[in-house]
Amino acid sequence: MQHLGRLIFLTFIFLSQKTLLAQGQEITLPIKSGSVRFAAIGDMGTGKRPQYEVAQRMFEFQQKFPFNFVIMLGDNIYGGKSPAELRKKFDIPYKPLLDAGVQFYATLGNHDDTNERFYKLFNMNGQQYYSFKKGNVQFFVLDSDYLDPKQLAWIEKELANSGSDWKICYFHHPLYSSGAFHGSSTELRKILEPLFVKYGVQVVFSGHEHLYERVKPQKGIYYFTEGASGELRAGNLKKTDITAVGYDKDQSFLLIEISGDDLYFQAVSRTGVTIDSGTIRRPAALQSVAPQAKSALP
Amino acid sequence: MQSNRLLIAAISLATFTAVPWIPFIATARAAPSPPDSPAFREFAQRVQQYVKLRKAPQRTTRHREEIVDRRDALAQAIRESRPDAKQGDIFTPEVSEEFRRVIQSVFQGPSASSVRRTIRQGDPVAGLRLTVNGAYPQHLPLTTVPPTLLSRLPELPERMAYRIVGHDFVLQDTEARLVIDFIPGVIP
Repeated sequence: MQHLGRLIFLTFIFLSQKTLLAQGQEITLPIKSGSVRFAAIGDMGTGKRPQYEVAQRMFEFQQKFPFNFVIMLGDNIYGGKSPAELRKKFDIPYKPLLDAGVQFYATLGNHDDTNERFYKLFNMNGQQYYSFKKGNVQFFVLDSDYLDPKQLAWIEKELANSGSDWKICYFHHPLYSSGAFHGSSTELRKILEPLFVKYGVQVVFSGHEHLYERVKPQKGIYYFTEGASGELRAGNLKKTDITAVGYDKDQSFLLIEISGDDLYFQAVSRTGVTIDSGTIRRPAALQSVAPQAKSALP
Repeated sequence: MQSNRLLIAAISLATFTAVPWIPFIATARAAPSPPDSPAFREFAQRVQQYVKLRKAPQRTTRHREEIVDRRDALAQAIRESRPDAKQGDIFTPEVSEEFRRVIQSVFQGPSASSVRRTIRQGDPVAGLRLTVNGAYPQHLPLTTVPPTLLSRLPELPERMAYRIVGHDFVLQDTEARLVIDFIPGVIP
């Protein structure tokens, strides 16, 4: 009788998974030849089941949308940081992606140990802030926990010298956020936003708030918060007039594709539902054409 | 020919003297008064003395154990090389007073509300009892240090950082994760 109960339970789980998988197969991205494709995750390093489920969903999407790197928006490892904990919170959940050759590029969050920068699979090369290029895209990775004059001088110089079409910054604390728990990091915004505007940064990714939010363009810059790839603060999004789309009901991750002057994005929930998607045209190429974006949400 | 050499020498001298100031120029908006005072100079000297105790920086590795082992070994070596270290060794009374003055001015200045907000948003840590040569607990978050404050303080060498723990202001060795010194109760 006990076995029968277990069998029914497992059948139910299997069928539920099948349903979720069926929902999760939708790719809204164009998958163009030669495009730059990546995923974004934030606040994920809990080592708990939701992180593993998001990681599994990412792997399933990666089979259909072959992205080859992931940007990590901080709080990569919560709590204990023994080798065993680190494996539980990164190596094991993302093993299928790592085995598929996907690279991870981390930024540090306030829950991270700065020594994470020495972990080869985080691709930080021992630096707390760094940049890297993929095709026509340059990524600038900041340590927003410690934005000292040295780092500010570095980012200004890097941005000024960048010849890439797309300039994307990412760091842990969001400059714009409708999250009720933390909200916008206004002091960081006051310092960083003028640099982003001056040097033509088009898109910024952050975490810290445990939800997903796409903010309406601010001074021509698109801001995404993806801080729910492991942690979740359900019901914490208090939509404001800056919110384009937000989602705080479940964990999530982002998929991005950049081809020429277009950036395509798709935000996906832990269960595989598309919660936001759309296209951003590179402002330099745009010349006052409104961006197109759509949300699956009301 | 002689005048050319003089010109090159003048340009070289100008470049050489300008280089250390580039960071201050780049961040002049955030740093109205560059940190320079006898107390801050004394602080910088004491920090440099500390840095001499340290070994070469870590290297990147795929092996988690190696990172942890090196961190622990570094922490142990530092503890052994300054066994009698105590609060106030680097933040001497004069140095502490200068830090206190700058911190107060930032917390009472035009950016005070956003500075306080930055700390609140950084998951502030409270109730942690600090000890010199003690490890900063791994499971606790790091409170964001407001950039406005950082722009008013002496620049630190690599692998050293200022931290805020409750109302205390901390000098931390980030690689060994050790508390090197602290000023109690200076953060409003």
